[in-house]
Amino acid sequence: MDASELQPITDFLRQLPPFDTLSANTLESCCRALTIGYYSKASTYVPLDESHPQLYIVRSGAFEVHGDDGDLIDRLGDGDFFGFPSLLSGEKISNKIQILEDGLVYHLDPDTFNRLRSESREFDRFFNRAFAKRLRHQSRFKAKELGSTSRVSSLMSKQPLTLDINANVTQAACLMRDSRVSSLLIIDNHKLAGILTDRDLRNRVLALGHDGQLPVHQAMTSHPITLSSSALVFEAMLLMSQHNIHHLPIVDNELPVGVVSSTDILRGQSSQPLLLIGEIERQNSLDSLIAVSKQIPLLLQNLISADARAEEIGRVLTSVTDALTRRLILLNQQILGQAPMPFCWLAFGSQGRQDQVACSDQDNGLLLAHDMDEQAKGYFDALTKAVCAGLDSCGYIYCPGDIMAQNPQWQMTLKQWQNKFRHWVDSPEPKALMHASIFFDMRCVYGPQSLFDSLQSQVLASTKDNDIFLAGMAGNSLQVSPPLGFFKKFVLERDGQEVKGIDLKHKGSVLINDIARVYALSAGIKEVNTAKRIRLLMEQNIINRKDALNLADAHEFIAHIRLSNQGYQFTHNQVLSNYLMPQNLSSLVRHQLRDAFKVVHDAQAGMKLKFTRSF
Amino acid sequence: MLHHPMLKSRLCWRTAITQHPQLKAYQQALLENLARNVEQVSLVAIDLEMTGLNPACDQILSIGVVPIEQGRILLQQAQHKLVQIEGSVGQSATIHGILDMHLQQAVSMKTAMQWFLSVTQGKVLVAHHSPLDLAFLQEGLAQAYNEHIKLMAVDTLALEKKRLLRQHEVLQEGALRLGASRARYGLPVYAAHNALIDAIACGELLLAQVAAMGGGDKLKVSELF
Repeated sequence: MDASELQPITDFLRQLPPFDTLSANTLESCCRALTIGYYSKASTYVPLDESHPQLYIVRSGAFEVHGDDGDLIDRLGDGDFFGFPSLLSGEKISNKIQILEDGLVYHLDPDTFNRLRSESREFDRFFNRAFAKRLRHQSRFKAKELGSTSRVSSLMSKQPLTLDINANVTQAACLMRDSRVSSLLIIDNHKLAGILTDRDLRNRVLALGHDGQLPVHQAMTSHPITLSSSALVFEAMLLMSQHNIHHLPIVDNELPVGVVSSTDILRGQSSQPLLLIGEIERQNSLDSLIAVSKQIPLLLQNLISADARAEEIGRVLTSVTDALTRRLILLNQQILGQAPMPFCWLAFGSQGRQDQVACSDQDNGLLLAHDMDEQAKGYFDALTKAVCAGLDSCGYIYCPGDIMAQNPQWQMTLKQWQNKFRHWVDSPEPKALMHASIFFDMRCVYGPQSLFDSLQSQVLASTKDNDIFLAGMAGNSLQVSPPLGFFKKFVLERDGQEVKGIDLKHKGSVLINDIARVYALSAGIKEVNTAKRIRLLMEQNIINRKDALNLADAHEFIAHIRLSNQGYQFTHNQVLSNYLMPQNLSSLVRHQLRDAFKVVHDAQAGMKLKFTRSF
Repeated sequence: MLHHPMLKSRLCWRTAITQHPQLKAYQQALLENLARNVEQVSLVAIDLEMTGLNPACDQILSIGVVPIEQGRILLQQAQHKLVQIEGSVGQSATIHGILDMHLQQAVSMKTAMQWFLSVTQGKVLVAHHSPLDLAFLQEGLAQAYNEHIKLMAVDTLALEKKRLLRQHEVLQEGALRLGASRARYGLPVYAAHNALIDAIACGELLLAQVAAMGGGDKLKVSELF
């Protein structure tokens, strides 16, 4: 009997570590020893027979390993193994294997498994290492899903030291000495009133000749800059460097929950994006800015390969764009002189939402404090042209739709912008709205926040509970559905004969952005970042918790797949695109992607019901 | 679908009219399987390679068998026999890749049929498009035993067709082929083809179909016919 008759099975094992280390003869006898089973998700779990431990080799399908307490330990797809821990330890099986997608599984009996271990050191080492890893990373997936590592909450000192606002500076100094800290949060009626640091005691007490009886509120920094505990560490670093401060109180729902100091951050954080932004802020000419911007694609690749969350990558890259924009404005103002009036540089679309990725184009506009005279027109024409051209040279190409600050159409006073938005909101003509949707994701990149706030609050007041407008917005978005056909098959985009793949942007991310925008506008939420919008919608009970978490996960997952696809395209010198060929994915990832699109589909149905039923 | 009593009476009748003791015992052994659950009986997936599609003039080239016990395909007992033929493999070699030189290891039809009966006795046959394979086997058995008997087998193609029609799907050309049927269950693509691999592929398809029909611990064997 010739064992190579089992060729498809031998072929599969031959390329699968650690079976790839076995000799041809051993491999063939190993294939002979296999039995094949098929597990259907109708039965939920793989029935594991205590008296017959085996090595399970996944040939197709998708599975999840859950621990005693139901925690997710590992996800398995083609070529993954389970069952080896009890084979190695001889202990009883404690994990459960949930079947996510029907699959074919090869079983290897313990005798053959042990024979292979004794014959091949590599084989033995592979499973011992896998076993050790499994034990060590029991909660790997949990940690990753929370993304805790790069949030401020992971670094901040919890239960911060606080002092009542009526105390004096001697009491403050004693508390700081006894607790060996360099800052105190000053509390007035449970709320944060200020922060007192070593530096304040020196500069505002001793240097001014005050005595220890001075009340703390006279020495502290009142209304300090704060961050929420869910902010990225990177954002904390950015704030500190911008304002030259070393302590940031962390405030959630107006209650102080911690402090982050620059020392906390230095301790073990890689600061590559920050270095890049620092470099941008040091450049004094357009040429040198262009040179620095050449590092942006590399930064993106590093972030992708470091497996950063897509949401974080978007926020980091957008911070870089913001810094470039601000630097270009400042550099040009050095040439042109001070602006004749206050103005805001507005970012729309992806920059507004802070989810920029590779090869983004620019979408921006100008918000002016009042009407321009001829001289002001000349000034802003020169400024905006220079800034937009600078961004173009730095890799943010001109907006094909000409939505740019250099276009006189998008240089408007507060009143004109308000009228423009009123026009969109009050007469929601579908086509006009479709083009206008990016304007509702606006953010102020440069200029007085108060000016921007007057625009945004008026816009939100007009959209909130505005049924006709929201129905128009929702209706537009519902024109496109996620790429799932019958039986959850992927629908691929075609260009004539050429199959282009799944459009992850327009059939995935964009739809989730749309859904979050419609809900946020309906509730008058100021936030424009999609993940933050969803979080706020959940906190305000506008979207129920389960749906909101699912939608946020789907958003992150689709964006992640899109980024890693582009990372692959980048390293293989291909043109970056949003198209993905599903056959390049493992069956597990395919399964997750299908689930993500299913969530988008359901969220669309929810939006349709909520906003468009009466029209 | 035939109801169990009808299936049973048909098999009883076939057993009763069979003369040759070995063939009679073979048919007899199948009888008690019908009422059992799929997981409790021994199944054996088979595949044949032939010189053509007409049992009256074409010949069996090879037979692959692989047993399925308790929902598990046992590769240890997967077997493959080449059968001697008259004349040359001819044109069909391009399809199944069996060359005349391979046939030197081949056994006579009589030996092949004795072997086939011994490895499948008491087991329910499973094949993809089974009527064709059965027609050739019946021809082979007639040559070997001078008696024409009727075999029965679970047909994975017929199961698939029934399932698709029940879902009101329009049957595309080729949709019921082994590879296409397997793809619907996410089963891997097997590039190589011989009677043994196709028998394994057919066995895997049956496991997937049984799972889709409610599972081998609930389904009766008679429900597969």
